[in-house]
Amino acid sequence: MPTPQSQRKFHVIVSGVAIGLSLIAWSCAFVANDDVNQPIAYNHKVHIENAGLKCTDCHVHVETMASATLPSLEICRNCHDSEPVSDSPEELTLLKYVADQEEIPWVKIYNVPDHVYFSHRRHVVIGGLACSACHGAMNEMTKPATSPFLKVTMKNCMACHRNNKVSNDCLSCHR
Amino acid sequence: MEIKRRDFLKLVGGVSATFAVGGCALDDVLEIPDRLIHRVRKGPGLETWKNTICGLCPGGCGISVRLIDDVPVHIKGNANYPVNQGGMCPLGLNGLHMLYHPDRLKRPMKRTANPGSGTWEPISWDEALKMVADRLVALRTERQSHQVAVLGYDERGLMREHISRFMRAYGSPNYVRFSPSENDAVPHSLLHGHAHIPAYDFLNAKLILSFGSNFLEEGYSPVYYTKLYSRHRELQTQYIQVESRMSLTAVNADQWVPVRPGTYGALALGIAYVLIREELFDAGFVKSNALGFEDWVDRSGVKHLGFRTIVLGNYYPEKVSEITGVPASTILEIGRKIGNTPKSLVLGDGGTLDNTNGTFSQMAVQSLNALLGNYEAEGGIFFVDDVPVASLPDVRIDEIAAAGNRAEPVARSRDVLYPLSTFSIDSFAKNVLEERPYPLSVLFLNKGNPLFQTLNHLDLASALRKIPLVVSFDSIINETSEYANLILPDHTYLESWGEVSNVPTVGFSHFGLQQPVVEPLHDTRSTGDVFIELARRVGGTVQSAATFSDFGEELKFSAEGIFKSGEGAVVSRGQRQLWDEFLLRRGWKSGRYASFDEFWEQLVLQGGWWNPVRKKKSVDRLFTTPSGKFEFFSQKLQEEFNGLIPRLGETGSSQNLESVLGRLNIGARGDNAAMPHYEIVPYEGDRPLFLVTFQVLPNRDGVGAALPMMQEMFGYSVHSPWESWVEIHPETAAAAGISKDDWVWVESSIGSLRLKPRISATIMPEVIAIPFGMGHTSYGRYAKGHGVNPHTIMRNLYDPVSGKPAIEATKVRISRTV
Amino acid sequence: MAKWAMVIDLNRCTGCGACMTACKTENNVPIVEPAEALAGRVMHWMEMISEYDGDYPNIEVKRMPKPCFHCDNPPCTRVCPVGATYRNEEGLVAQIYHRCIGCRYCMVACPFTAKVFNWHEPQWIEGATTCFNPDVSRRLVGVVEKCTFCSHRLMKVKEAADEQDRPINDGEYVPACAEICPADAIAFGNIEDKGSKVYKLSRDYRASRVMEDLGVEPKVYYLAKRTR
Repeated sequence: MPTPQSQRKFHVIVSGVAIGLSLIAWSCAFVANDDVNQPIAYNHKVHIENAGLKCTDCHVHVETMASATLPSLEICRNCHDSEPVSDSPEELTLLKYVADQEEIPWVKIYNVPDHVYFSHRRHVVIGGLACSACHGAMNEMTKPATSPFLKVTMKNCMACHRNNKVSNDCLSCHR
Repeated sequence: MEIKRRDFLKLVGGVSATFAVGGCALDDVLEIPDRLIHRVRKGPGLETWKNTICGLCPGGCGISVRLIDDVPVHIKGNANYPVNQGGMCPLGLNGLHMLYHPDRLKRPMKRTANPGSGTWEPISWDEALKMVADRLVALRTERQSHQVAVLGYDERGLMREHISRFMRAYGSPNYVRFSPSENDAVPHSLLHGHAHIPAYDFLNAKLILSFGSNFLEEGYSPVYYTKLYSRHRELQTQYIQVESRMSLTAVNADQWVPVRPGTYGALALGIAYVLIREELFDAGFVKSNALGFEDWVDRSGVKHLGFRTIVLGNYYPEKVSEITGVPASTILEIGRKIGNTPKSLVLGDGGTLDNTNGTFSQMAVQSLNALLGNYEAEGGIFFVDDVPVASLPDVRIDEIAAAGNRAEPVARSRDVLYPLSTFSIDSFAKNVLEERPYPLSVLFLNKGNPLFQTLNHLDLASALRKIPLVVSFDSIINETSEYANLILPDHTYLESWGEVSNVPTVGFSHFGLQQPVVEPLHDTRSTGDVFIELARRVGGTVQSAATFSDFGEELKFSAEGIFKSGEGAVVSRGQRQLWDEFLLRRGWKSGRYASFDEFWEQLVLQGGWWNPVRKKKSVDRLFTTPSGKFEFFSQKLQEEFNGLIPRLGETGSSQNLESVLGRLNIGARGDNAAMPHYEIVPYEGDRPLFLVTFQVLPNRDGVGAALPMMQEMFGYSVHSPWESWVEIHPETAAAAGISKDDWVWVESSIGSLRLKPRISATIMPEVIAIPFGMGHTSYGRYAKGHGVNPHTIMRNLYDPVSGKPAIEATKVRISRTV
Repeated sequence: MAKWAMVIDLNRCTGCGACMTACKTENNVPIVEPAEALAGRVMHWMEMISEYDGDYPNIEVKRMPKPCFHCDNPPCTRVCPVGATYRNEEGLVAQIYHRCIGCRYCMVACPFTAKVFNWHEPQWIEGATTCFNPDVSRRLVGVVEKCTFCSHRLMKVKEAADEQDRPINDGEYVPACAEICPADAIAFGNIEDKGSKVYKLSRDYRASRVMEDLGVEPKVYYLAKRTR
């Protein structure tokens, strides 16, 4: 018959294993996220340097809304409507989306959680932040980023706020 | 790496959190179609607003709907719409839950087994419409087009005209409506000649005496009245509420006068006694603009007793006190108060009308307004102008339709009952069952939920079962549509074009435009469009009812009439409105719209039109009675009674007025029968307590029961979510040995209900009250099986003149149970 | 610094309950199952208190809407072991859901029972929740929540005002309840602004606060109903 003491030991071992396994599982979850594949290998550099585009030309709502927004098909169609303008195979993929009238299923990598209010308008227009402060030197990128330049964590947000002497009041962001 | 508390718990604790990352977490909401969720998830999050009119109750409040990427996410009041001026009630705010309701019908359905069995099979629109059209065509061929009927609810304005046109072109006189407002208009038509329900100048009145009108919670437009009421302190207006229980309006009034159910008319006459006796009435009005105040002789030389004689002889305070339970001193006090306060206004609804003596009681209440000279006076009552909509072009009628239209309507009683009612559900059910004057082959059910609301449940259910093809337009299957053979689901009000105009008792003419704020979620169709399609399919001259390609076009055509009239203005911000008002008064047309297209664009953008300026009418031209005056003695009613005598002759009784009155269950004799009087309600003597019922804002007339947030709020002031309760006075409860933790049996001669009590002194000791709107046996997963329906234990009685269900005519007994 | 306060005029309030529903739909407050509701766990951030006094038939029914009072000296913030509830510089007492461990001490500490608790995963029957407002987050099970004076609206209004380099105008930021009230009974604004409506109304002869002797300094004033 198991004694109370041995029962306790048993429980400790079982919990230990359970926690151990969960920790492994949990850390796997963190690792798993790194390889993000976008439907089109969009080349920022070529668009900025050759086509002379600015950030706000495609991410149109950066100065007016909370979300900068990923460009809709309408925006791409301003230049890429029927005939390819380059010899990139990626453009053919784009033109197929245009022909099918299907929005490109971009995968968001900067994901601000539901309970946080982050406003691009506030940071860019009022705060005067450059896009590169959080998104890095996008004009150098020839392929889409696979992970965020600045991880969207509360620690990173608050650090920047502290450095810039901006309010770290919980209510400014938590909603 | 930092451990985030939430993630840790997620993995170890097994919490199944449903976090959506980025955008709005709409995936777990009441069934929102995938394509909408996708839009919100992937879209840029652009916010737009659209104005429309709420359709959950007849109140007609303007609403603004917030859309994110064209998906409706929130409803609030339209600040510019004059009926509600930005205010809302709890039900209207919850409108999106109706739009996204999981039990909404997504396509037409056909019933495959017995009614109430819940066995429905989807059917395509084409097949369903073919089924109906084929039957309609066949009936015309057989010259039986009159066997088609439409039973509507409270539709007014364009939808009513639309269906009427269809029926006229098709060839049937049987378009009827189970409509509270049509019943309510009857007493007014007897006194005034026309069937307009008056509007009340609350803002200028100094004393408002309400007989049972629970205008803050029930009635035509609670939000409109709340806005008016809210200014009572600054305007120094006093409110007196006469009611058997303390409704929301009584709670907010300055004085609550408890009155025995069924005796509102007697009380009104008791107060009239004080006004007459103490000469506090408007002698000028009574002399020049009223018939029948003094004793008079009619054209054929018959002498009639006047109102004065009858009141002074029969309604002295002590006697009225005995009848009503109101102390004689209170009657004197109120009479003197309203007689001595200039701009005292009287109105009646609720308990005044909800009884077998409703018509006569309302006539008595309205007489007070006549005595006080309130017609077209400041702080008094007046009649709102009609909206100058364009009339729809006439339909073409062929010989089949002409013959059909001449047939006797099926809803009128072939007996003498309900002479002035436009529709009596009692007669309707009985006639259908007995196939007189002929059987019905097709019945269209246009909304409302008559089987849930009526008192003749069994008869009506049997009648529905008897009709071979019953077609309903409901969005969610309810008690009545369980009996339909086919359901052709309509859009909700948020997905279609419509209008809500001239809500009765609202003090200005207005045209509220309903527009689709989102494309239809499911494969539903606007009922207006369905009738157009049916007209097309039936063909021939019936196609002339399909003048317009769809109901939206018809609405636009109708609105053009308003534009052409140059009257009023599209609702807009306050300042501009006042300026337009000023201009209109000066006789200038504001001419702000260069063209109809601009007018229509503004109308759609803002949500409605109104005319803040009303041409004041001369009292001499106000009444369209035979005498042209306010008739204390209603010649119209007398004529109706006399007209019924020959009809009675058919069934073999002696031909005189007394027989008619007896048949109608009217106790009054002689002149009294055509005048405001206290008509005794035939209560049963063996049960001690009166049963009254009431509606609450989160539910209204049963509509809110489908919405879980409204079910949760059902009895918020008495802590009774999701459940019905019975209000009992502490003395009554003590006498029956009932405490708050017991259950109560409420037993009438018809049946019994088991309820939880709420013991409170906010009700007369001899009265108990059960809220209406619960006790659904259908109508979605959240309505079904909660609470009880007090109408199921009420006696099948109606006001004999107007046909209105008498929901305060039942007496009960209570006992304690477990 | 602004200080946000509310004044509710009981002469105007009819007890209709529109504020209760407006708050729920604005803030994605969950609906609970019927059995839970009957057990008293309905989640209303704005509650309608109803009481009656007097002898029949001279009954006086008192109805008052009760949101969180956003006290200046809040007892709830003092007892929170993890700092999930705190009072910010503008007088708003906030609830940070991600810090909350669900001990419910704050619920006990609040003399006005302003807080409600998510006893179950905020889903109700048939796996459906009610989230319509993308501006407000959804809470988890085991978290306390309460009226926030619709602070998410403040952040948006502040942003617009900061962009135009101007102060917030009186009446520009109002919570959902104040906006919807059909009787215009709820006034809201910056009580430090001497030109604001709430400043004037809070000094009205009818103005008082609930349980003032407790010293928690609630920021919701009630204008007494003038009795018969």
